[in-house]
Amino acid sequence: MAHPLLEPVAAGQTRFRMQGLSPDARGIAVGREVLVTFPTIDWLIAFLGAYSDESSLDDLLPTMTLEHARRHEGGHAILLRAAAADGYAVDRLGRLAGATRGLLFTGGGSVFLRWRGREAPFGYDLVSLLSPSGEEVLVVDLDHVASYTAIDRMDPVELIQRLQLRRVPLPLSGVSSDPERMGLKDLALALVAPGLASRMLAHLWRLEASFAGYYVQLEGDARASLLLRIRQPRGRVLDVLHGTPGVELLAPVSARAAVQVGYRHPIQLSSASACLPGEEMFLFRGHVGRVERLPGPPRFIDGRHLVEATGTAKLRELGQLREADLAPLQVELQVRPAQNPREPRGTLISWDQVGLLRHLVYLIPPSALAASRVVPLEEGLVVITGSSIGARSRAGMGAAAAGMGAGAIVPLGLRLGEVAPGVLVADGHELWPRVRPSLTRQLLGLGPEDHALFLRPDAEPIRVTEQQLIPLDAALIGRLQLHETTTVVPDLPALEPGEIHNRKLGRFALWGFPRGPKGPTEDGRGQ
Amino acid sequence: MARSLPEFLDEFVLPLLGGGPVMIDGPLREKDLELMLEHAQELARPELRFLRLRRGQELVADPELPDPDSDELRLWMGLYNTLVFDHPDRHRVWSRTIVWRRVEGTTRSLLTLPAPTTCDGALARHVSVGAFFELLRQDMVVGSGGSELRAVGQELPRRILRVAGPGDGIRSEMVRWHEQGHAPEAQRAIEDALRASPLTCVLLPLAAPPGWSPLAAAEAFCDRAMVRAICHRWARHRDWVAVGGAVAGALLPSLPNPGRANAPNPAVASPRAAESPLALPGAVLPTDPQVLAGVAGALIHLHFLKVLELDARLGVAAVSRDPGVTAFLALPLVLPFIESATGSPLGGLPEVADAQRTGRDHGQAPIARRWTEYLDHLQELVPKSAVDNLLASLVPRIVQTS
Repeated sequence: MAHPLLEPVAAGQTRFRMQGLSPDARGIAVGREVLVTFPTIDWLIAFLGAYSDESSLDDLLPTMTLEHARRHEGGHAILLRAAAADGYAVDRLGRLAGATRGLLFTGGGSVFLRWRGREAPFGYDLVSLLSPSGEEVLVVDLDHVASYTAIDRMDPVELIQRLQLRRVPLPLSGVSSDPERMGLKDLALALVAPGLASRMLAHLWRLEASFAGYYVQLEGDARASLLLRIRQPRGRVLDVLHGTPGVELLAPVSARAAVQVGYRHPIQLSSASACLPGEEMFLFRGHVGRVERLPGPPRFIDGRHLVEATGTAKLRELGQLREADLAPLQVELQVRPAQNPREPRGTLISWDQVGLLRHLVYLIPPSALAASRVVPLEEGLVVITGSSIGARSRAGMGAAAAGMGAGAIVPLGLRLGEVAPGVLVADGHELWPRVRPSLTRQLLGLGPEDHALFLRPDAEPIRVTEQQLIPLDAALIGRLQLHETTTVVPDLPALEPGEIHNRKLGRFALWGFPRGPKGPTEDGRGQ
Repeated sequence: MARSLPEFLDEFVLPLLGGGPVMIDGPLREKDLELMLEHAQELARPELRFLRLRRGQELVADPELPDPDSDELRLWMGLYNTLVFDHPDRHRVWSRTIVWRRVEGTTRSLLTLPAPTTCDGALARHVSVGAFFELLRQDMVVGSGGSELRAVGQELPRRILRVAGPGDGIRSEMVRWHEQGHAPEAQRAIEDALRASPLTCVLLPLAAPPGWSPLAAAEAFCDRAMVRAICHRWARHRDWVAVGGAVAGALLPSLPNPGRANAPNPAVASPRAAESPLALPGAVLPTDPQVLAGVAGALIHLHFLKVLELDARLGVAAVSRDPGVTAFLALPLVLPFIESATGSPLGGLPEVADAQRTGRDHGQAPIARRWTEYLDHLQELVPKSAVDNLLASLVPRIVQTS
């Protein structure tokens, strides 16, 4: 039987044979570094792609090294080394590595152990110490040791930048059918060949697209190409850009990277900003298989400065207004009979009918009663409810909600309808000419809470201020007399706790305790 | 210091019961008791009976207190001597330490009284001891912060008043005597006073001496009016969970051990020293099922009162690890098992569904719902082992279990 090389770590174990292992918060033995071995570089790319989908590659890249290594027993492998954070992060690496045919080991320096599994939930430790020789890396599994020697190293950033784009199918109905799925809903970039630049600009201008652009000199081109940025492009614009030969439509994947529509980068670039160093902008062109590095951050210029204007019409400024007198236009606001019915908002009750009103108030609903206001006038008593002004105040809300006020309910007197907010006209009349309601108040010179009453066509209108409006319920009810309460005084005061007063003790206060403690008495009492 | 019974009643007992200045002077001797009993007719003074009755009426409506007797006089004298131990002039007394020990022995002897046998007897003890725990003291204080002079229950000395100015912060503080620090002798005497009044221990379980059990006040738990008063007094306490926990924690250890009950009688067992008991058995507490049902029912009723007050769910949010508190919280969960003996908080009321159908729902439906919700809340909160413990220890002593 083979001698086991590793032994499971026990729960709570803090000392390990292998240097560099330490328990994390859960008690799992984690080394300083992790090592993932992949059989081919394709699986490494698959691992990086899966990791970037799930988490940010920026966490991994600063400490990550990639090596092409040869195994002493034969064969090659790609080794990925990175710093190990804690058990949770290493668990995630192990899960992703397992899905992409990689093997995860933890350790440090040149010795790495198998990561924890079902048999050893707290990880493994060495049974006996191993000593690697030279540059080789020892990878210890349960029953065998593999030693790797690095052949060459790869720069992860350079590797990610050089990756070939993968084709993705486009919708049959064109890119405009689903711009959100293509990543073009908010912003689209277009690289226009030098010969097409002016025509494309003119076309976009005619389409009234919101675009900006600038000219970039691509490596190997004689003339500068035009890079366009279109915000919230419409479907028509996208179709034109995508269907025109010489124009490449690019979808932005991060702040400084864009990938040609119809292609996909194997790595999720939005989670790998460390892969794109500096301030340059990267255009991944799948059609020609190139990555364009634009010098410096893009400085787009608004589209209206890029097109040339050809219009010739000129606008004439208005010089001076004619000094005209508008007096011939002015007419007098008057009250005239009208046929259209209005909802009554108030009523004018003559003084001889006020006694009837006193009997009717018992029938008025409480909300309508609360919203009603009265104004005593020479002509009689005006009851106003639910005017547009009153509805704004708190008291009027009840009547507005009820849709009916006391003025509408009381079957007495002359009804008043509202022609403008707070402007009441006798029923069967209206103001002529029909100016805007707000203008009516302005023409009458009313304050914000004032009312105007046109009681008769021949009489002058009356202004009623807020202070002159008396609530109907307050005007009706006289002052109520309350009986004073009589409190019953209890015959006996409540019992109070006693209060300790310590008198002065003399020097001989303990006279009378000369003998020793008494023994138990006959009835069993005593000390 | 000898003094007559009328003087003692006027200066100590009547102010203790009815309020007013309680004068503390030198300690009383055993001999003073004999002297006082020569005027025993003074114990029948109407104002003394009246004050005792009013004190008793703070708990129950019509208490039938026994007339004051020599035992009650001994209790008053013991309480008086307890206050002497906290006298600020003790250090001025020209005496040896052994004499103070004799004073303590006398005091504890005075406070050692037979257990009350009736509910009214227990109430009569509580009338005095309960008033004793409510005593106040007015202290005069000069200075502030670290350097202050406190005249404990006295006026400030004239020499201090002569030199003290308005900037010295002369003030008077009213404090509750029981909550202040005490001399060791006074502390021991307080425990004796509480042992003499089991009903006071029930009403103030957080102050009860160690080894106390609510079963010592068994007769109080058989009186319906008294149990109601006890429940409401518990419910007035802000930390009612701790109060209930103290009662439950004192109750469970005092239940007799069934294994010990079956031990062979030492009289008929072999006379060998190894098997004979080392000491005589202590006071045997009554374990009548009716008494145990009264205690358990009172504790459950305390839960119900708090549910009525809408205070229960908040109060029981944090469970302590105290076994007494845990047992107290687990008690309502064993109610279905002891319901036949204790009754139920909602017993006697029609079922909610019946009440709604007949239209005679007088508002008990929300109470029943809150009580059910509270029980569910306790079910989540209390560990199952606590309920099992009660089912094994307490329930078989209340009802017959199969």
